[in-house]
Amino acid sequence: MAVFELRSPLTPEERLYKRKLIFRDVIALVSLFVITVALAVLTYLLFNSFLRRRQALTQTWLLEGEKAMATGRPKEAVDAYRSALEYGPLQRETEAKLAMALSAAGHQQEAVSYFDTLLESEPGNGQINLALARIATKQGNESRAIEYYQRALDGTWEGDGYARRRTVRLELARYFIGVVDYPRARTQLLIVAGNAPDDPDIRMEIAGLMEKAQAPSDALEIYRSIAEQKPDRIDALEGAGRVALALGRFGLARAYLEEAVRHAGFASQPDPVQSQYREMLADATQLLDLYPGTDLKVGERAQRILHAATVAQTRLNVCLANGKVSDPQVAGLAAKWQQVPTKLTPTDLARQPQLEQSIMALVYTTELETERACGPPNGEDLLYLKIAKSPLVAEQQ
Amino acid sequence: MSTETAEKPRATAAAAAVPDLNKIAPTREERLFLVLSIFIGVISGLLVVSFRIAIEWIRLLTLGPAPHAGQYRLLLAPAGAGLIVAVLMWWLFPGASGSGVNQTKAALYIYNGFISFRTVIGKFITSAIAIGAGHSLGPEDPSLQIGAGVASMIARKLHLSRESLRLFAPIGAAAGLAAAFNAPVSAILFVIEEVIGRWSAAVLGSVVLSAISSVVVARWFWGSEPLFRIPPVTLRDPRELTAYAVLGVCGGLLALVFSKSLGYLRPRLRTQSHWNRFFQPSVAGLIVGAIGYFGFPQVMGPGYAVMDQAMHGQFAWKILVALAVLKLLATTLSFSSGTPGGMFAPTLFIGAMLGAAVGTFEKHYFPLLTGTVGSYALAGMGVLFAAFLRAPLTSVFMVLEVSGNYSIVVPVILANTVAYLLARSLQPVAIFEVFTQQDGLELPSMEEQREERVLHIEDALRPPDVPVVSGVDSIGAASDLIAKTNSPAFLIRLPGGSWYAMRQDELTSTAATLTGDTPIERALNSDRTPLLFPDLPLDSTLSYFARWPVLPVLNRANKNNLEGVITLEDVLHRYQEF
Repeated sequence: MAVFELRSPLTPEERLYKRKLIFRDVIALVSLFVITVALAVLTYLLFNSFLRRRQALTQTWLLEGEKAMATGRPKEAVDAYRSALEYGPLQRETEAKLAMALSAAGHQQEAVSYFDTLLESEPGNGQINLALARIATKQGNESRAIEYYQRALDGTWEGDGYARRRTVRLELARYFIGVVDYPRARTQLLIVAGNAPDDPDIRMEIAGLMEKAQAPSDALEIYRSIAEQKPDRIDALEGAGRVALALGRFGLARAYLEEAVRHAGFASQPDPVQSQYREMLADATQLLDLYPGTDLKVGERAQRILHAATVAQTRLNVCLANGKVSDPQVAGLAAKWQQVPTKLTPTDLARQPQLEQSIMALVYTTELETERACGPPNGEDLLYLKIAKSPLVAEQQ
Repeated sequence: MSTETAEKPRATAAAAAVPDLNKIAPTREERLFLVLSIFIGVISGLLVVSFRIAIEWIRLLTLGPAPHAGQYRLLLAPAGAGLIVAVLMWWLFPGASGSGVNQTKAALYIYNGFISFRTVIGKFITSAIAIGAGHSLGPEDPSLQIGAGVASMIARKLHLSRESLRLFAPIGAAAGLAAAFNAPVSAILFVIEEVIGRWSAAVLGSVVLSAISSVVVARWFWGSEPLFRIPPVTLRDPRELTAYAVLGVCGGLLALVFSKSLGYLRPRLRTQSHWNRFFQPSVAGLIVGAIGYFGFPQVMGPGYAVMDQAMHGQFAWKILVALAVLKLLATTLSFSSGTPGGMFAPTLFIGAMLGAAVGTFEKHYFPLLTGTVGSYALAGMGVLFAAFLRAPLTSVFMVLEVSGNYSIVVPVILANTVAYLLARSLQPVAIFEVFTQQDGLELPSMEEQREERVLHIEDALRPPDVPVVSGVDSIGAASDLIAKTNSPAFLIRLPGGSWYAMRQDELTSTAATLTGDTPIERALNSDRTPLLFPDLPLDSTLSYFARWPVLPVLNRANKNNLEGVITLEDVLHRYQEF
């Protein structure tokens, strides 16, 4: 600027003009600065008032969206979240909610597109990966679903990451159960169980999933430990009784079921549930009365085996009489029963433990085959069938 | 433009009354330039932020927080806004109509960079009302004019020279556009491509400085996030380039339709009666509102949110095509009616919809071939920008700057080039020139200026056919040589790579006063021929021929080495051939 060039061969008039020019330029620049500051303040005030309005609108639409999602109106939620994003753009959480609403409304492609964008900025975000996993499960893309679940487990989480990861792992276990991949479901559940806090609710959930993942032994272990720690938890007692019964551990089942039925909270449960557990208890009691356990006295055990043989043969004869002679399996059974001595006494049986075992094996096979050929049984046949199907018997066979 | 004529520039008159500033403060303007560029950038940025806030407030007040089809306000708001805008333009701000790009060019080339304060205020208010109330126009071009207006006002207040006034308009234009677009590089390129027409080192530094300043201000308010959330952009398979070429063809054709529509409707509406023209913005608003009311509110306003949704594959291809066509119709109506507002946002909107439609269509029918819909939408934006606005370089950089992803550069260049060449062959006159012609103005064609061939010295160079002597040679030896060749002039090579061109009569007069064995270098005047090289502009030689009969053209690596010679006749002859 002219201000830096004070020494020059100028006439006095020119020097005077130059000074005026410098003064004018300085005044102009200072004025410009003042105008800029004033404009900045004005813009700032205007912007802030607008920002507040936008924030209010963002909140309003966000709440609308959440309300719509909570009441099962995902399409309305999509509109609401879009409006929220229009006034509060680039908010990852709202974008994720919109993507979830889109997914819930059936717009899977758009939802994936949204999530992919979000994922690009935060590849390790657990929440986004979880949402993508859920979409992949809806789309039936198993490999992608598992990949995203795994990324969600490895990803970052806001708040209590430990609890969020456990929830994801439980969800992954549920997914494996859904696709009948029980071994992998069981693996996930065992990891969760190993790291789970001493919270009965969480452990009950894990045990329930263990049951669904066809891991009743693990489930029983958890139910029992909860029942021991918290005897007032009726659901643990019921679970332990239910699983023990399914496992063929009838004594244990009866003990837990009796405790459950005696529990103060049992009466407050819905009638169907009550009757279900009463039936289980009755079954367990009857099964214990029928089952020829090794803990019984020799004579009593032989009596029970002979009774079982009679019941099974009667069932077979009825089945044959109903026209199932042509069934080779059923016909084969009749031949096997003919090989069993007709006039056995409890003493005979007590002397031949091998025969005891083969008769009981034939009883169970008879119940299983007649169920297949002649339909479900009832009465004592049904109880023997339950024993036949119990893992305990399967192990013995 | 009539008002611009009425508001005669006064700065030049003021300048005439003062003593010679070149003598008093020779570097004053040069130094002020950089400081003022920052001020222009900051003030333009602040004004553009306010402009956008004004648009958003008006939108909220007129269309409501969540406009959707079936609302009566969708019909009433743009129609009412059209009426208000017409009243304001008719009685208060007659210079506020149009997009702003041509007005800025007119200010630059016709009015010596003069844009009145009233025009700036008028543009701000009327554009904000029109765009906010749902007219299918964008805020970028008005921002460009607001920026140019700010620059013009500042330059006038500081009584800068006419030349500086002309240079300041593009500086402000770049600042305004950069703030509106949040993309400084694209803004700078657009101003160079479409406003200045030529790369000029004199103005480039200031343009960059003001654009960056304005973007810094804008980002301070709006944040540094880009205009759109860019989805993952991928090019899965090189064969996919075919699809981008198809997009280029579609874009070229659509740009032609858009251009023809505007070229047809705008002059017809402008030749209507006084009252008819008064109601045109209102009627255009009513039709645009009807499009929104009957199911497509997305076409109202600039539509950035809709572009964002299209980029994320949220529309079926048929809807995307419908949106592109309806936006074209709505913008043609809004713009042709004289409603103030820009063409940038609608162009990007139509391009994004077209690109997303092509992408969605191909994704549906050739699922293994195509990448994301977002990359097609992005490329589509560039395609329309290149084909319709005829700014191919800006279009490529805009996509890169907006996406921040260079992996898309090949498809974008391909699609944009196809679209640009197709549109140019089908419609040789660019849209801004069409408007200029319709307005009865004669502005330089930026497209032609960009492609104008500049002659260089090498184009008129001829072999060194004049005698060459060394400075240490005697006057007698030189005289003998000249006598033999009968050349009217000859060159003298001097130490240090300097040269002297001597006429025969000069040699004769020297020989008369000095002895024949005197080295010729002692007979020379103190000046030397200019250093000229083959790559310099040919016109740069013209001023030297008054002094020198012939000019040596030297090698840049070795100034003692002669590449050739050039005379005034050679230069004139070359220009006559050109």
